[in-house]
Amino acid sequence: MKKILLDDMILTKELPTSAGSKMLDGYMSPFNAAVVERLTEAGYEIAGKAPVGEFAIDLSGETNFEGKTVSSEDCATVMLDVNGSPRRIAAQNGLVYIKPTYGIVSRFGTVAVACSGECVGVMAKSASECKEVLSVLVGNDERDGTMHADGVCKSALGIKKVKKVALLDMGVKSAELDLARSELEANGIEVASVDAGVIESANAAWNILMCAELCNNVSRFDGIKYGYRAKNYKNLDELYTNSRTEAFGELVKTAILYGSDVLSSNNYMSKYDKAMRVRRVIVEAFTEIFKEYDAVMLPACSKTSYTASDDVFVENKYTAPASVTGLPAVVAGGVQLVGKAFSDGALLDVSAILTKEGK
Amino acid sequence: MEKETLRLLCKVNQLALTEEQKDSFLKFMDAREADIKALDAIDTENVERMVHVMPIMTVVREDVEKKLFTRDELQKGAPETMDGYWQVPRVVE
Repeated sequence: MKKILLDDMILTKELPTSAGSKMLDGYMSPFNAAVVERLTEAGYEIAGKAPVGEFAIDLSGETNFEGKTVSSEDCATVMLDVNGSPRRIAAQNGLVYIKPTYGIVSRFGTVAVACSGECVGVMAKSASECKEVLSVLVGNDERDGTMHADGVCKSALGIKKVKKVALLDMGVKSAELDLARSELEANGIEVASVDAGVIESANAAWNILMCAELCNNVSRFDGIKYGYRAKNYKNLDELYTNSRTEAFGELVKTAILYGSDVLSSNNYMSKYDKAMRVRRVIVEAFTEIFKEYDAVMLPACSKTSYTASDDVFVENKYTAPASVTGLPAVVAGGVQLVGKAFSDGALLDVSAILTKEGK
Repeated sequence: MEKETLRLLCKVNQLALTEEQKDSFLKFMDAREADIKALDAIDTENVERMVHVMPIMTVVREDVEKKLFTRDELQKGAPETMDGYWQVPRVVE
């Protein structure tokens, strides 16, 4: 039986799910996520839970409430990509991660954070292993109302080819990008530098949308029905406030307040509504690039490791383009490839060149 | 952002920040001005807002009753329950 890990954003009946937050410390879900059902039906053994940063919105797991850090494991890990953390981890640790096309893998039973962009993906040591696990996960699930029809989901793994790649360096000069370019070119794939244009501003829109959605999603954590409850309170109002204040970490509190601000009547049109319109402009910018190219190559992160002064709301500049558009993204060889919707299989195939699989 | 606005945001979101956290959040908001400027520089006149990234029509399921969980299963993670009810502090004095 093949072993597989799940990140701590995926609900499991037999194992606790904390979402990296004191708010859900020890929480036992009454049901399994759809991806857990699919994996066990396909014969996978759930080997355990991989830690995540609080609600998976940080750089690479540093805000986990117990200080647990993500480590490279021997088996593949199914991970929810909310704000690019799995892609940054893969890039900095020589792993492969696919964030699939939005709506081809069920999010039923994942801890909801930024529902309009988050996707369940797979991290593994090779692109072929990612593809093997992803083939188990894709398919319609009527419990997730944002999914495509079954045939459409499965078409993402169909035979397509990446022949031309647009390189958007986003101002990052990295050996990984240079190496990836020469590897692709050596394998007959044309690579040309393209100006990122409005795609550079994807994180400005994503930060607004993600925080607005997070603000709404975590409003359910009130210390009443499940999760953490403060010990000291005099009345219901104090119970809510003390429970949320004691359980949420600083990054999540920041995201809640920012999300609440952009949704307020004063800012709704100038910030939230504007971000939704910019989202369409960015989708159209990708559509324009994809008229000539099959995929876009860009950095997944700006550095090989982070310090306390690094800001996820700035660093997600590289992962936000795929998050805000729902396009598939694969990180391999330290770089990121973003493809047309439903080109997930083709992206993994071309990523195998970057990880030198079969050589 | 004015401190009063932050106080209201904290109130509606049921959060209490220390003075240090308030200063830190106000600095965060200053940094977000760069995001707002970047968005304002993009022409969105005659651009429709995009709620769903993919052309997905939310399909409403048939309204069929399904017994998915027992009360005990749903209350297993509750901080405090009594006789099958969620327990909260007294709300009527």
